[in-house]
Amino acid sequence: MIRLRAYLPLLVLFCALQTGLAQDLASFEKRVQVKTLPNGLTVLLLQRPQAPVFSFFTVVDAGDAQDPMGKTGLAHMMEHMAFKGTNNIGTTDIAAETAALVKVERAYADYDRENNRVVNQDEKKVAELKAAWEKARQDADQYVVKNEFGEIIERNGGVGLNASTGLDSTQYFYSLPANRLELWAYLESERFLHPVMREFYKERDVVMEERRMRTDSSPTGRLVEQFLSAAYDGSPYHRPGIGYMSDLRHFSATDAAEFFKTYYVPSNMAVAVVGDLDADKTFAVIERYFGRIPSGPKPEEYITAQTKQNSERTVLLHDPSQPFYIEGYQRPNFRDKDDPVYSVISSVMSEGRTSRLYRTLVRDKKIAVASAGFSGFPGDKYRNLYAFYAVPSQDHTATEMANAIHEVVERLKSDGVTPDELKMVKTRSKAALLRSLANNQGLAINLAENQLKYGDWRELFRRIEKIDAVTNEDVRRVANEVFVNTNRTVGILETNKSTAKGAQQ
Amino acid sequence: MNTKSLIAVISTALLMGSMYAQEATKNDATKQETSPKPAPATSAGVATNWKQIAIPTLPPFKPQEPKRIVFPNGIVIFLTENHELPLISGSAMIRGGAASEPASKTGLVELYGATWRTGGTTKLSGDQLDDYLEARAAKVETSGSEESTSISFNCLKGDFNDVLGIFVNLMRNPAFREDKLALAKKQMNSSISRRNDESEDIASMQQDILGYGKQSAYARVPEYATVAAVTHDDLLQWHKQHTTPNNIIFGVVGDFDSKEMEATLRKVFGDWVKGEKVPETKVAIAPEKPGIYVVDKSDVNQSEIRMIGLGIVRKNPDYYALQVMNEIFGGGFSSRLFSNLRTKAGLAYSVGGGVGSGWDHQGLTVLEIGTKTETTTEAIKGLWEQVDLLKKEAPTELELKRAKDAILNSFIFNFDTPAKVLREQETYEFYGYPRDFLEQYRNGVEKVTAADVLRVANKYVHKDELKVLVVGNASEFTKQLATLGTVTPIDITIPTPEITVSTNKATGNTSEGKAAVAKFVEAMGGANMVNAVKTLHQSISLIQQGMEVKLDQSIVYPDKQAQKMTLPQGEMKRVVTPSAAFMAMGAQVRDLPPSERSSEAASLKRDFLNVLQHAGDSKYTFSASGKEKLGDAEAIVVEVNADGAKSQWWIGPDGKLLQEEFSEVGQTGPTTLTMKYSDWKSFDGLQYPTKYEMVNGGQPVAKMTLSSMEVNAAVDPKLFEKPAQVAQ
Repeated sequence: MIRLRAYLPLLVLFCALQTGLAQDLASFEKRVQVKTLPNGLTVLLLQRPQAPVFSFFTVVDAGDAQDPMGKTGLAHMMEHMAFKGTNNIGTTDIAAETAALVKVERAYADYDRENNRVVNQDEKKVAELKAAWEKARQDADQYVVKNEFGEIIERNGGVGLNASTGLDSTQYFYSLPANRLELWAYLESERFLHPVMREFYKERDVVMEERRMRTDSSPTGRLVEQFLSAAYDGSPYHRPGIGYMSDLRHFSATDAAEFFKTYYVPSNMAVAVVGDLDADKTFAVIERYFGRIPSGPKPEEYITAQTKQNSERTVLLHDPSQPFYIEGYQRPNFRDKDDPVYSVISSVMSEGRTSRLYRTLVRDKKIAVASAGFSGFPGDKYRNLYAFYAVPSQDHTATEMANAIHEVVERLKSDGVTPDELKMVKTRSKAALLRSLANNQGLAINLAENQLKYGDWRELFRRIEKIDAVTNEDVRRVANEVFVNTNRTVGILETNKSTAKGAQQ
Repeated sequence: MNTKSLIAVISTALLMGSMYAQEATKNDATKQETSPKPAPATSAGVATNWKQIAIPTLPPFKPQEPKRIVFPNGIVIFLTENHELPLISGSAMIRGGAASEPASKTGLVELYGATWRTGGTTKLSGDQLDDYLEARAAKVETSGSEESTSISFNCLKGDFNDVLGIFVNLMRNPAFREDKLALAKKQMNSSISRRNDESEDIASMQQDILGYGKQSAYARVPEYATVAAVTHDDLLQWHKQHTTPNNIIFGVVGDFDSKEMEATLRKVFGDWVKGEKVPETKVAIAPEKPGIYVVDKSDVNQSEIRMIGLGIVRKNPDYYALQVMNEIFGGGFSSRLFSNLRTKAGLAYSVGGGVGSGWDHQGLTVLEIGTKTETTTEAIKGLWEQVDLLKKEAPTELELKRAKDAILNSFIFNFDTPAKVLREQETYEFYGYPRDFLEQYRNGVEKVTAADVLRVANKYVHKDELKVLVVGNASEFTKQLATLGTVTPIDITIPTPEITVSTNKATGNTSEGKAAVAKFVEAMGGANMVNAVKTLHQSISLIQQGMEVKLDQSIVYPDKQAQKMTLPQGEMKRVVTPSAAFMAMGAQVRDLPPSERSSEAASLKRDFLNVLQHAGDSKYTFSASGKEKLGDAEAIVVEVNADGAKSQWWIGPDGKLLQEEFSEVGQTGPTTLTMKYSDWKSFDGLQYPTKYEMVNGGQPVAKMTLSSMEVNAAVDPKLFEKPAQVAQ
């Protein structure tokens, strides 16, 4: 009796809190407006009049998974090109420049063909064609006003100007003071209406440096590239998003333009704007500017499907750096009905100091610096990996990580999660959503991505209900289905102190 | 280097979204409107040129200033109400940080920051706090940094009282439990062992050393020895001396009523007694000599280049002009460094830089670029050229206007959320800046002229004083680099810790140690037998990771050793003598790196036969530190110091060596290895073990069997000669 009385007020408080949360979420949900323009572009808008600023997020439903064979890294390259300006930004004379760029492409095609010739290659001819191509580039460069597109944004107070390309999609984003709405609508629509593939081959050099930084010169970068190529076969996820070096040396501005034409169509894109904006005026401005982008069919969505794995695969990299361990299990894509179950698993296994991997590997066994599990490696639009990794503590080996992770995973398979854990995950997911609402850029990202992935931005809020419905039985079922040896790929980085040259390809 | 940054690096590598551009050095503060560019929009409603687009005036926006309250005990409170969401968060800055920790205990403040939260309160352990907070989706976290330590919380409004209770208890009654300090130390040691893995980590550490000087507190990094030196008592003392109300600035933002909040905070902090004021720290800054410094990293194909000099303190009136200069020079997509070295030359993905500024001490001026190994020199010259240009001519009016516009038009983003405004105010209070510093900054930037930019460029950027740091594949660029100036290699070998005595006895017993060693000599066949050994030729079969390797080893006492290993890919030779240390495979010959060389020399010095032959030498000491059961046998543990090479011996009741433990250092840091000896056999009267097992961290790593051994056989001196270098 006493216990019951002591707990009663707490219980009441808890219920009250839950209702309060739900109200806050619901009020946000009501403030989101969505429109599809006649050309097929989906536009989302959320007013958040906290301060006279706004953020946006443009997402294109194409990433490096869509790179054509022999042209890996093209989607990412296109993203870089989207900063190069338009037919009246970044040029002194668009007519002359266009003519010069046509010549660059012709010269490059000639050079590239001869350069790739396997039998009877004429070295002298290759050198001549290369020189001719370089000359053509110099000609075209004389019309360029460098980085004018970025400069306009920056001098107008733009912050957080950036973009990123994943395997699944490409995204563009920044924030501006609220009085720059029309300027933004102009710049962002022009970017996709009149792009110009200027300085393409210099930018290709920049991307090669990006590859050297992220992949070739980084121990985990090296491991991850090999790991993914072992884990996937049919799926384009087996290729590095940044591209193979040889493809980076091969693809052309013509290829990028072709990619752009196919995938950068309104029906394949979504734009979300969040901030201190008047809804009617904003929609009007967006319709005026973005409505100009010609419509096009939703591009072909077929890709080779990943075959179901039937054997364990291992990648062992001897490297001069300290050890690292990762393993992945194939799981269905993000639209799978069990997707929320994987979220629950990630939360229980990886989130915070109460997580099972932290407690077992870091706190109790003291063999790791960090350990976690997560979905969607390297993307989630297609069949993908649920991965676990661990960073060994000093003097501990990758094998110890594997054993400890398996111990934790086996416990999940046999016992599932406790009621307390399940409750904690559900509370945390609500709180995380609530916290994400306090940020214009974060909101724009969430709205646009949910719209693109599910065809409905409301999924951002529905997700909470789906996580609420997950049971311990679900967790055990999914864990037993997926976390099995024959569905596993292992990546081990093992220190090899005598390796003088380990990295280069 | 800390664990958090390490985890960040690894997670970034994993998530690997290929982002377009790195943030270049960004300005700290900026401002609202300058002159908008009004021009009539076209009547059709669609502009055909960006210049036609009218920019309406931004509505006046006055951010809500936090309410400042000082309690009688000195604690400074800032309160900002924000009712958008049912959340409350707060953070306290506490005076005193790593800059004032003793050099011999570098890492103390970081360990303090980690253990403060994980070590729990006197009532609840850190693990109990984890359970309590996570169930409420709440956070309470602590950390230590250069000038301050901090404790923060974040919770749903409904949990505020519960979470505040924990927060206050942690502030006033922390326990710093020993097990969590041990865990934090383990994490920190692991970070140390990983600090040479990524070029960027190496560059960042060396950048501080070159910029502030090796001895400066701003450049020091934890080492194994300094981590080991930190005790539980150190953390308690640090807390006692620093975390007192008059050293704390505490800001709270969120869905609350300020009056109620003030009353609540008075209740929980009001009775807290004042402590000593934390004295201001004076940190010595003595930059290293200008020149070209190289860290060799052979597993990369890109060079990480930094140019380093001293920057300014933010209070400096030239701060405004320097911010404008930074924007022009290296601050964004349209900066000179980005445009010329990335866009135009295609030399880099990552490039940027500027004159840095610190709140209470000089920041560093850093220019950085990452370029492929082949263009290392070109990139350095490219940066120098930009420096020359910066100092030679004032920026054009257009450049100046762009830079000022960029700063002033984005100014609003300094205070577009209540949390940002609160943080600014806490920082100004902490470092003694005026509350309207942001306003002053805006006015200062507005007044900057092109001549100001030229003046500050010449006053603060000194090409001759810049230290050039290159982390990369040195063998491929060193020659070319030498054409630019004297190249100084930097050895980044991680220093080995002193071997810690694992037994209970505090001080060793020398006579017992010597007695045990004498017994060992007898067990090997007596002093005459031991001292007569001049050479050993051994054939060993080595099993490691399931692979068997044949090893031929010739030792010429006291200081020469040649090994021949038969590997699947051919025969590998490894030789160490006082005058040479190299390895050879086929036509390839390579000198051992200094760290490996000294580690090999130490290992030869540690060789038990070598040690026993020197047992009478005063540079060799033996002290018994206790007894330990190894299997059924009770062994005497002897601390051996062989002229600086240290190890521990476990000597059995029959005098035979059962086990040896020592620390070995590689490129990536030390590891403690245990060697177990068994199966003793007689070789012409010399008793010698023939089975060895090497154990690392409890895991067996290798097994060896001595299949044959010749004592005092002639050894061909040619064995120790370095073959002529055929190929590099």
